[in-house]
Amino acid sequence: MKNTLRQVFHSSKFLVGFILFVLILLTIWIYPFLNPGNPLEMIGVGTFAKPGTYVSVYDALNTGTETLRLPDADDKRVDQLLSDADRVSMLEWFDIMEIDVSDLDATDTEALLDLWFEHYDQSIKPKGMTQAKRNFYKRLDNSVRQIRSADTLKIMHPEEGELVERGSINKTDYVNVGDVANVKLLPLGTDNFGRDVLKEMVSATGTSIVIGLIAGIVATLIGLTLGLLAGYVGGWVDDIIMFITNIFTVIPGFVLLILISYSIGQEQRGASVVAIVIGLTSWTWTTRSVRSQVISLRNRDHVNLSKLSGHSLVRIVATDILPYIASYVVMAFILQVSSGILAEAQLSLLGLGPKTTVTPTLGLMMNWAMLYSAHTNGSWWAYFPVILTITLISFSLNLMNTGLDQVFNPTLRD
Amino acid sequence: MKGYRKYFGKKILWFFITLIAAVILNFVLPRMMPADPVSAITGKMASGMTDASAVQEIYKRYEAEFGTNKSLPEQFFIFVKNMLHGDLGTSFSQYPRKVSDIISSAIIWTICLQLPAILVGWLLGNILGALAAYIRKGFDKVLLPVAVFLSNVPAFGMAVTLLVIFAVNLKVAPIAGGYSFDMIPNFSWSFIKSVISHYQLPFWSIVLVSIGGQAIGMRSMSIYELNADYVKYARFLGIKDRKIVGYVFRNAMLPQVTGLALSIGTMIGGALVAEIIFSYPGLGSTMYSAVTAADYPLISATTLIITIMVLVVTFVLDIIYGFIDPRVKAAQFDA
Amino acid sequence: MGKVILEVHDLKTKYVTRFREDVYAVDGVSFKIEEGKSLGVAGESGCGKSTLALSMMGYYFPPLHYISGDIIIDGKNISGLDPDVVRKTILGTEIAYIPQAAMNALNPTQKIIRFVEDVIRAHNPKADKKEIRERAQTRFAELGLPKEVLDKHAVELSGGMKQRTVIAVSTILSPKVLIADEPSSALDVTSQKMVIKMMRELMEKGYIKSMLFITHELPLLYNVTDDIMVMYAGQIVERGSAREMVFDPIHPYSHGLMGSILVPEEGTRGTTLTAIPGTPPNLKKPPQGCRFAERCRYATDECRYHSVPEKQFDEGRGYCCRLSVDQLREAYKNE
Repeated sequence: MKNTLRQVFHSSKFLVGFILFVLILLTIWIYPFLNPGNPLEMIGVGTFAKPGTYVSVYDALNTGTETLRLPDADDKRVDQLLSDADRVSMLEWFDIMEIDVSDLDATDTEALLDLWFEHYDQSIKPKGMTQAKRNFYKRLDNSVRQIRSADTLKIMHPEEGELVERGSINKTDYVNVGDVANVKLLPLGTDNFGRDVLKEMVSATGTSIVIGLIAGIVATLIGLTLGLLAGYVGGWVDDIIMFITNIFTVIPGFVLLILISYSIGQEQRGASVVAIVIGLTSWTWTTRSVRSQVISLRNRDHVNLSKLSGHSLVRIVATDILPYIASYVVMAFILQVSSGILAEAQLSLLGLGPKTTVTPTLGLMMNWAMLYSAHTNGSWWAYFPVILTITLISFSLNLMNTGLDQVFNPTLRD
Repeated sequence: MKGYRKYFGKKILWFFITLIAAVILNFVLPRMMPADPVSAITGKMASGMTDASAVQEIYKRYEAEFGTNKSLPEQFFIFVKNMLHGDLGTSFSQYPRKVSDIISSAIIWTICLQLPAILVGWLLGNILGALAAYIRKGFDKVLLPVAVFLSNVPAFGMAVTLLVIFAVNLKVAPIAGGYSFDMIPNFSWSFIKSVISHYQLPFWSIVLVSIGGQAIGMRSMSIYELNADYVKYARFLGIKDRKIVGYVFRNAMLPQVTGLALSIGTMIGGALVAEIIFSYPGLGSTMYSAVTAADYPLISATTLIITIMVLVVTFVLDIIYGFIDPRVKAAQFDA
Repeated sequence: MGKVILEVHDLKTKYVTRFREDVYAVDGVSFKIEEGKSLGVAGESGCGKSTLALSMMGYYFPPLHYISGDIIIDGKNISGLDPDVVRKTILGTEIAYIPQAAMNALNPTQKIIRFVEDVIRAHNPKADKKEIRERAQTRFAELGLPKEVLDKHAVELSGGMKQRTVIAVSTILSPKVLIADEPSSALDVTSQKMVIKMMRELMEKGYIKSMLFITHELPLLYNVTDDIMVMYAGQIVERGSAREMVFDPIHPYSHGLMGSILVPEEGTRGTTLTAIPGTPPNLKKPPQGCRFAERCRYATDECRYHSVPEKQFDEGRGYCCRLSVDQLREAYKNE
């Protein structure tokens, strides 16, 4: 046993997979301590806030400032203010005014603005331009001019119907993020419901792995029992079990999964029920491999010796058969866990995922992201980390499986 | 010939047994569940209604539509009889469209998308796996980890990734659908062009997902065969290496046909979910909209059709395999 | 003395393991075989006899590597020739090989006749299919094999039939030298006899001119070959006629080997079987003195630290030991 374990951990593939999986588990365990609270709490009001650090504007205003004179600060401000659409509008204006802009680079803010100030005049009324469009240009002009000119912003406080100046902010005022009372780091932004994606995902990964484990345990228990019975008892028991197994091998498991999940109904469909249903539809491989292993073991000398010694069936199975097929069962189990996680994700994408009030799953997160078109509106943080996590879990489990396979089936070793 | 007849006879018998089992399961499973689908549907349809007799009326109507007011065996015979006539009931969500009508317009898209994609993925995977086994060294070192990683990307993940890169960001392919939404299916050149451009992303996402697993299988199979005794023997008889590699790849590839037959169910499952991502007008999207709309007859029919599709493909692959691999014939004589 | 068909002079080859270690499995082997004669090679497993068989072909691929020495067939030195020349003009036509595990020596998915075609065409690309078939049919008939075998796949043949087919295919081009590596070891007694009969027929009908027969079953050699060589740790320790080697072995190792055989004859019950104690030396680092010294009960310090004077094994008797024949015979008497 000890020797076998040493051999297993000598396989580099197994080791890499194992370390990866343990790291994932550790993250699931440790992260909630660093960032406690309900993973489904909707902290954001809007949908899909970008990843990044969020600083409370209110608190920032009330935080002591330092004066820094950074030479390129103005350019950056204007750069950020001018959206691509604004730049296109400016170019349109030049076009209307028949100004040659062939050698102008629209991303060069400085040159663009110089040209703009040179040629724009609010009093010009180009033919055919609507009033709304003219107003748009006025607003655009005002805002860029303001950034260029004004040095301070006034903060007003309404007092008895009048605005009273409370203070002013200089362009050169800076606050230290560490001094601001409310700063929130959202490394993966928020999702469509305004929930912290990273926090949600860590919790979802845990749930998904549990679903995979339950599905794997159910499938392995069924497969092991049927395989042992079919292989060891043989005869008509074997015939019946193999008949059923063969049928369920060909009928695709996910179809049964969809049928059962749908029939159970949304209310009854908790995470553990979904997990059990996945297990119930994916036991055929274990049955087949256990059966063929048991058949090859059944007539070995040590089993015959136990039979002659009058040992009970349970004892023979436990001491003379199980230890020899353990490696196959473990390998099958690992694959079941990995395919269980995938099955949950696919089921959720079809809209048949587990009921969710407390537990997110990776599949549900994917489903929400797709429902709210995260993929077409550029909110990559809502779905890409989820895909990556599913892939990494599955990758680590499969690596472990391959490593075990090479240790226990030396003929496959290259 | 005796061996072949035995093999094919067995396969045909199994095809029908599994078909019957699939039909029974498709009928029984939903009816075994504690929740009564009719009352669930009625609840949805009658939400906001206060008149009890009107709700009762709706319940009765769906009961009759479903046939749930009859005994189970009776229901089953009606179910089978209707099915043999190609009648799969009426859709709830697209009332009064017939389910068979919806399915038949969707199935062509699914077959035309998935079969070529899975076959191409299988073929490319096998070629890459064989090359990796033959060249080894650098090629293998790069290819194998990539293939292992690729094979673990879920089909829907690959679909989303391709969609975002090529349709949303690079804008070289359309985002959704089987053809441009402002077109009506016909045989004009522009329509075919639109179908082809909408075909690319779903097709390649399925291909990419299938390549990995096949390449890994083919690689280890080829390595196993390259070390076989007949390779050494053939070399010592002066046969050229290129010819021997031909033997090896043929022998390694044949079991991959069975491998494809065994994994086709899972592959189609993944590909159906990928269809949803692209809103491809196939069975996957049909199933999705049926689930969202709680369209029970449509769900039931879709699962049945998918099962039958998988059964037919498995059966055909088994038959092809029996013809091309002489080992099957020998095994049948032994048994 | 007849014409020398095969002459091997100081042949050295090595294996390179997965861990890049060199294993000197054939380390300075020299011998000759005359026309119409057969020579047996005996030894424990791991003594290098199978490697000797592979090294004789003059065609090396990893993990086997050529170091030095000559292999001269009918006056032509084949060692050091370009591999492609060896493949085209030597393998199968000058020297042929029958592998240890004939069970797996034939490509399972190929018809025997296609394989025969490949073998013949590897040497004569323009050979006509019809002629090849006629030639194969005649040869198979002469060797007592049913011609139906040609149109079967290897998987459809029984073990004995497979082995006889392999022998017939190996010798289809009438090579001058046949190297047979344990051709009958895995077979039942009846099949074994048929194989031996076939090998004799090959010699008698002149399809092969000489044969090197490798086996661990000494009694078999006594019945099949004219001469016997005993191999130990990559070297030849003794050679003599079959009769001499079995009844009057000189080298302590040969003596031990012969002493460990069970012979089902009258009066042999009760005689003590002497197994040779110890294990053969590690061929990654061969000992500098006599390689058998560690296990030899007559060994002196001289044997352990000084190399044994070289003996030639070309004609008649020869052995490789510091002690004289008389000393050894005297010692054996006192056992």
